Amino acid sequence: MKQFGRIFQFELKGYLKNKIFVGITIIMIVAIAVAMFIPNIISLIGSGSSDEQKDRPIMLIHSESPELSLLVEQYFEEAFADYDIKITDGTVDDVKEQIVSGKVECAFVLSSASSYTYYVNNLSMYDVNVGIANTVLQEVYRANAMIQSGLTPEQAGEIMSVQIDGVTTALGKDQMKNYLYTYIMIFALYMVILLYGQMVATNVATEKSSRAMELLVTSAKPTNMMFGKVLASCLAGFLQLVAIFGSALLLYNINKNAWSGNVLIGSIFNIPVVLFIYLLIFFVLGFLIYAFLYGAIGSTASKLEDINTAVMPITFLFIIAFFVVIFSMTSGNVDNVVMKICSYIPFTSPMAMFTRIAMSTVPWYEIVISISLLIGSVVGIGILAAKIYRVGVLLYGNRPRLGTIIKSVFKKS
Amino acid sequence: MILEVKNIDKSFGKKQVLKGVSFVAEGGKAFGLLGRNGAGKTTAIRILMNVFPADNGEVLVDGEHIDYNKIKIGYLPEERGLYPKKIIFDQLVYFSVLKGMNKKDAVKAVDHWLDRLGMLEYRNKRLDTLSKGNQQKIQLITALSHDPDIVILDEPFSGLDPVNAMLLKDVVKEQIGKGKIVLFSSHQMNYIEEFCDSIAIINTGRVVLKGDLHDIKRNYVRDRLVVNTETPERIMADFGDSCSKNEDGSLLIKLDNVSDKQNVMKKLIEHYDIDEVKVFEPSLNDIFVEYTHKEI
Repeated sequence: MKQFGRIFQFELKGYLKNKIFVGITIIMIVAIAVAMFIPNIISLIGSGSSDEQKDRPIMLIHSESPELSLLVEQYFEEAFADYDIKITDGTVDDVKEQIVSGKVECAFVLSSASSYTYYVNNLSMYDVNVGIANTVLQEVYRANAMIQSGLTPEQAGEIMSVQIDGVTTALGKDQMKNYLYTYIMIFALYMVILLYGQMVATNVATEKSSRAMELLVTSAKPTNMMFGKVLASCLAGFLQLVAIFGSALLLYNINKNAWSGNVLIGSIFNIPVVLFIYLLIFFVLGFLIYAFLYGAIGSTASKLEDINTAVMPITFLFIIAFFVVIFSMTSGNVDNVVMKICSYIPFTSPMAMFTRIAMSTVPWYEIVISISLLIGSVVGIGILAAKIYRVGVLLYGNRPRLGTIIKSVFKKS
Repeated sequence: MILEVKNIDKSFGKKQVLKGVSFVAEGGKAFGLLGRNGAGKTTAIRILMNVFPADNGEVLVDGEHIDYNKIKIGYLPEERGLYPKKIIFDQLVYFSVLKGMNKKDAVKAVDHWLDRLGMLEYRNKRLDTLSKGNQQKIQLITALSHDPDIVILDEPFSGLDPVNAMLLKDVVKEQIGKGKIVLFSSHQMNYIEEFCDSIAIINTGRVVLKGDLHDIKRNYVRDRLVVNTETPERIMADFGDSCSKNEDGSLLIKLDNVSDKQNVMKKLIEHYDIDEVKVFEPSLNDIFVEYTHKEI
């Protein structure tokens, strides 16, 4: 136990002193900080220019009928508040010329109340003017039609502006609301496990290729080495996540007012506490099971170059699990058969079960079974990994087959 | 303290690496474990250090099963290597505490050894900034810092310059003087001859020769004479096939019968211009080659 503590401490210190590890964490925090302050920065810039209303881009309306032009202008002024709406009497060519020269940004040339041509110099990807114009013109057309058929303008206005009062109550989970933060958590889980798994494997292979292993195996028990390494990397990964998400939460609260209009961002930071606890459980267990596997595989590689090919099967297994979960999430049915099976298989359950808990309603006993299976497998795989490690670290030369190693592990025990 | 390795068998897969290996090493003396590449020395050392168990046989200290919690072992592996990117002092302390020292004592011991080996100036440097010889000195500290009862040194002199070799010799003598068991494994026979009181030669997994080095040499068949002379041609012509020339110019005469020794010596002195004549005593190198080259 004492030895485990010392290995754990040494390995953890290794991570925390690692410049790349610290660098990535700081960059992530800075990136999040910048993102969190964006609304404030925008409103700061925006408030500076709000006095200069004259700088609004000009939108021209052209029509053969002056009444139509006036009517449309009235509606457009409301609908396009960002534009300075003007009626032009010139020809269509004049209009085009003004747009090309940049004096005017865009123009609606109406041939009737229900047909127009939209002129713009460069059509932006985000140009929604046509959509807005269609809605507005439809409204104008309908109102006109109603008035012409005998209704008063007030009656027509009332009909046009009727509001439907509807309430949606989700009795289970609101998938729309949960989708984003579940996605972020699954993705964080995915990134951290892949990143740290590779780190554990590289760590073991480095010790082996630098021959520090010769001394380590004669100084410490393999079980202590394996558990010390893996648990230290788990804590390091956990600390990194806490640092990143913690600062995100802190910065969000500082800028809460600026974000108040954004329901999406708001939903991310309103994760229920219970779900957060589940996240922790599945994060730790999922991390451990993969880190043990990566460590064991790392011990079978003699050279650092072998690591990438050696860990491929595990990485594939993990990526497949990730995609099953993500596809189920996007398809909207997280309780499909594949997901149900996956939520009991230890290698996929951290992501699959967590997603089901987050986005659906899972009976408590299913959760208990899934977590128990996972805990059992973590212990089992941990012990097996330590045994593979013990055999693997002293084998140099060609990378032995995993099957051969496992056979020799069982033969010995 | 007496370390006894008794009838050790070990196989990896179908290959039997050790076949009934036994030897005895005593405290206050150095023991040489010799053998060609791949003979099974490292496997024997690993079993001795409990890296993996033997299939058969046992390791005893003073007649009882070795207790790895009590008996401390220091090991300088032939394949050298520590953490290249880590600070020297940090990793030395780490290896010392791994072997059961508390942090305070480890710091003290590491500083003592850095000073003893003239490496204090590198204390806070990364290992990979050091030359190979200096890295080796750092590695030696990992074998000695925790004051082990048994010191196992695998090729300790390879890569050291003469001054550092001298320093290491002093350190080894000091360890022997403290009553520790020092177990050498080396191909540099001159060092083994200089330090070791007893040896064991392993060949293809079997101990082919073991015992007190002095006795081994004395018991070697004394049927050859070394002759230094100004007129080697005459002797060579007279003795024919039984006489050959050594690399240093001296002559080696093989006797048909050991009992002829006195007569032949007398004859040589009387009839030829002889500077020196003596019975050939084999070097360890000769003994090693003789016992290991047969079974290739």
